[in-house]
Amino acid sequence: MSPRRLDAPYGQLIDRDSPVEFEFDGELIRGYRGDSVVSALLGEDRWLISRSFKYHRPRGPLSLAGHDANTLVQTPRAPNQLAEDLDAQDQEIVSGQNFLGSLRADRYALLDRLGRFLPVGFYYRAFFKPRGIWRYWEAFIRKTAGLGVANLRVKPRYSDKQYLFCDVAVVGAGPAGISAALTAAAGGAEVLLIDENPYTGGALTYHRFGLEDVTREHMLAQLRSSLAAAANIRVLSGATCNAWFSDHYLPVFQGERLLKVRANTCILATGSSEQPVVFRNNDVPGIVLCSALERLLLHHGVCPEGPAVVLAGNDDAYLTALTAIDAGLTLAAVVDMRPATDNPALAAALAERGVTCYFNATVYEAHEDASGLRLGSVDVYNIETAGQVGALTARIECQLLAMSAGLMPAYQLACHGGAKLEYVDEKAAFALTQLPEGMLLAGGVNSIHTLEAVCADGRNAGRQALRALSRPADDDEAVECALRVNHPWPIFKHPRGREFVDFDEDLQVKDIINSARLGYRDIQLVKRYSTVGMGPSQGRHSALTTARLIAQATDRTVSETGVTTARPPVKPEPLGLLAGRRFHPVRKTPLDSRHRALGAHMIPAGSWRRPAFYGKPSQRTACIAAEAQAVRTGVGIIDVSTLGGIDLRGPDAAEFLNRIYTYGFLKQPVGKTRYAVLTSEQGVVVDDGVAARLADEHFYVTATTTGVDRVYRDMLRWNAQWRLSVDIAQVTSAYSAVNVAGPRSRDVLESAGCDLDLSAEAFPYLACREACVGGIPVRIMRVGFVGELGYELHVPSLMAQSLWDRLLSAGAAFDIKPFGVETQRLLRLEKGHIIVGQDTDGMSHPGEVGLEWAISRKKPFFVGRRSVEILMAQPLKRQLVGFSLSVHAPQPKEGHLVIRSGDIVGNVTSCEVSATLNQIVGLAYVHPDDALPGCDITIRTDDAVCVQATVVALPFYDPQNERQAL
Amino acid sequence: MTSGLASPVGAAQVPAPMTGKTLALHDLSLALRSGVRGPGAADWLRTQSMPTDLQPNTIENISNGRLLMALSTREFWLLEPDADASAAAPPSAAVATEAWPLYNQHSHAWLVLAGGPKADMMAKLCGVDLRENAFALGQVAQTQMAHISVIVAHHLWRDTPVFSMFVDQSLADFAWTALSDAMSEFRASTD
Repeated sequence: MSPRRLDAPYGQLIDRDSPVEFEFDGELIRGYRGDSVVSALLGEDRWLISRSFKYHRPRGPLSLAGHDANTLVQTPRAPNQLAEDLDAQDQEIVSGQNFLGSLRADRYALLDRLGRFLPVGFYYRAFFKPRGIWRYWEAFIRKTAGLGVANLRVKPRYSDKQYLFCDVAVVGAGPAGISAALTAAAGGAEVLLIDENPYTGGALTYHRFGLEDVTREHMLAQLRSSLAAAANIRVLSGATCNAWFSDHYLPVFQGERLLKVRANTCILATGSSEQPVVFRNNDVPGIVLCSALERLLLHHGVCPEGPAVVLAGNDDAYLTALTAIDAGLTLAAVVDMRPATDNPALAAALAERGVTCYFNATVYEAHEDASGLRLGSVDVYNIETAGQVGALTARIECQLLAMSAGLMPAYQLACHGGAKLEYVDEKAAFALTQLPEGMLLAGGVNSIHTLEAVCADGRNAGRQALRALSRPADDDEAVECALRVNHPWPIFKHPRGREFVDFDEDLQVKDIINSARLGYRDIQLVKRYSTVGMGPSQGRHSALTTARLIAQATDRTVSETGVTTARPPVKPEPLGLLAGRRFHPVRKTPLDSRHRALGAHMIPAGSWRRPAFYGKPSQRTACIAAEAQAVRTGVGIIDVSTLGGIDLRGPDAAEFLNRIYTYGFLKQPVGKTRYAVLTSEQGVVVDDGVAARLADEHFYVTATTTGVDRVYRDMLRWNAQWRLSVDIAQVTSAYSAVNVAGPRSRDVLESAGCDLDLSAEAFPYLACREACVGGIPVRIMRVGFVGELGYELHVPSLMAQSLWDRLLSAGAAFDIKPFGVETQRLLRLEKGHIIVGQDTDGMSHPGEVGLEWAISRKKPFFVGRRSVEILMAQPLKRQLVGFSLSVHAPQPKEGHLVIRSGDIVGNVTSCEVSATLNQIVGLAYVHPDDALPGCDITIRTDDAVCVQATVVALPFYDPQNERQAL
Repeated sequence: MTSGLASPVGAAQVPAPMTGKTLALHDLSLALRSGVRGPGAADWLRTQSMPTDLQPNTIENISNGRLLMALSTREFWLLEPDADASAAAPPSAAVATEAWPLYNQHSHAWLVLAGGPKADMMAKLCGVDLRENAFALGQVAQTQMAHISVIVAHHLWRDTPVFSMFVDQSLADFAWTALSDAMSEFRASTD
């Protein structure tokens, strides 16, 4: 065992039978299972952990609770890890960060001597003069900025999220939190007890609450035993509640999981943050908070090298001194900033142990030892008035200084809920008020500090929670706490500065005062100007001092000044945990496995995956050409299951359709389809499809893949007003669909066992039927989207695979070839069909895109009619036309600009190389004067190369429409 | 594939038998289900001698293992977990005045989750409290799971309390994968 390690009962958290090792800055560090990286380092008398942010001053631990930025270290996985939160057993290599050279000899430490040139907010006023200088500064700043090195090759850990539900969430498992949880649970509530530490008990695990440390362990054991016996309490240890959101929604981080807690009521038993004393060099390694020394002794069994000094602003610091003496630490003196202790027995107890007490005195300056990296001595001065000292009383050689200026409620979560932290200047006491409904406080956060009162306060909170849940509860106990824990002015400005207010940001007393002098009177503006409270500590140790300094500088009280706003998160949180397990829903058609088996190259289409073509991406052009040729000369089959489908059923189905779409549908015969265009109320084309009348009161309407949800939503919205007798059902998923297209498609269907007369006379172009193919029920529509004889078969989805297999099997004799969506886009382009959303935009009205014919001017109303009429009555500003150019010309791409006399007049919306036509063909918006066939247009392609294309009449292919009507 | 029908859960692979399982996920997409909706749906149920007093978002075992689920006052699903789906064309014509049949046999995949910690597992995917005391037997939640819409019904199946989950069939693979992943920390099986 290391000579600095104490025997039990010290070192509750470590397992002395399980030694661990890791490397810190090239040195082997030995500790025990249960040690943090910091406690293991301190066990080896290594106090230099990091370098400060701005001045690169040597820094060691302050709180030992993971509540400050003094122990930020680098691990191979990530920078900026709080060494107090890192388990030593999990580490192999840990190093310091933010230095040039080595942690011990940081060449950037020169900045500490240049402090006078780096006043608060200097970066707002520097680096930009003389003109052009910034680029030189930028290179330097980018090189020096940032802490640590991000490992860009790190493999992400698996992290996820989970909801947790409870009646009462208790944050903080100290004596108050446990008492509250036990009371609420005894009343029948389901309780979640959350604590950031890997153990329960809070301050009971390290702090003595009286002169004789006899009740602490007994009470801790009792509370833990009761917790274990309570069936309806779930304890979350090692879990950080990082925020409070409306309705008691609490994000809690535990390991690699973000727990999203939903509670009916919330009890905050988060305790308080011990405050440092502000004096010159109060950041030298070896200067810690009193609670940190207690943790070090009781949790980790590390007894630091002495002698030590305790700097007291309250009676609690005396208890720390007694604990330290009992542990064997040599205590050189207690320096008390007050004239006397509130409890005289404490001073007497120290006197009995031969400890010198200096009253009405303070440490005014700390000095490093010969190494410059560790505390060597402190200068003790008499206090004359608040913040003013008299003569030097003593210089005390010491390696450790434990200080306590007071306790500030851990107010962050309450403030997230809108609570106000009030400060009573006369008593130097805090009160949290204006709590949100259902939020309760218990213990230290409620400014209750004696052990009995803390537990009673916890029980009261548990009872109030029960009442909030409409459960019976006993009357509250009377709770009083007269303990004065805060020194009113533990700030001692030094002529040579370096009295640190904010350790994270290296802000000194003068920085805060100068902010006020520069006109930033409001505490929130001071925060923004000086960055005080913006570091990882989030103002835990700086907010009160800042408020006091600003109050003094602006001649106000602290309560008038207030403290900076606390916002989530309470502690730094990894972005990976916020991301959690990522869900990217991908929709697949029932034929997905078939496409993959056929070697399809799959691409996203909205939220779906669809085959682009079948074959290797490297052979894209050849694959598409072969598929297109099969459709043009033989037969092809494409999965169009992503097409939207909506069933309209009821007596008013035709009337409803007639109002929604631009065309007339009242007289549409049963067994026929009609093209359906949907315009918005602004007259813009927003969707299109085909409406098939399957029965007098039954229409089956298709919509675009990405537009169907909007169409369905709009239909529901409109009928909420119209109240027509029609059922509107989204059947996109209920029906899958395939399109069999090509001159041999009729042969394939007949061979597959279609029970219809498929002749052109019996089943003509644009007809629709319900039939069976080999016993599989289908809705069949004769469509011509790709410009060939074609049948669109809509099949109940569970039967889609059977139908596909049957068609492919029957089609084998006709050399049927599956084709993908990119081939389909080429084929429909050759036929001059537009795709809404690709060839239209948010301004396209029917007149611009050649859909005048699809507008019924006879019916009194359709959605968007008034706007369509207005728009189409105006001269066109652009027009969608077909264009062609030589296959040897540079191919325009979608989005390329159409130029006219140097001005942009339009853009290309579709363009493909057509092997069938041996041309490049496309659609583009052009100036109306250039819209006639034969006009030349100029398209600016890649690298600003302009090509001349010729406007041609649509369609490019089969202008007589003979092939689709075969 | 049975009778020409194929489950949309393409990822479902029947694993080797496991013992001591705490969670099990079953694919019942090929089990029989139908439904009716519209203002006349409740009246039609009455003519079929089925309960008409179901509150919205509840489910009830009616007879022979059949379940009736009410999603609103005018939409009802009839679930038959132990019967095979039909390969016939789904009816589309109105069954009564203003009562139309549903296509839920084909539109939704049907997944069934059984086992003690099912609510804990679902809490990884769904923001609704599905614990027994908040989501009792007979209750239905129309909500979201892993960013997709889902209907969760808490009922008995073969005397075991289960969650039936209905998701859009095109998202069945995704849902299966998400559920399997969430189940991995529990001793679980999927079939």
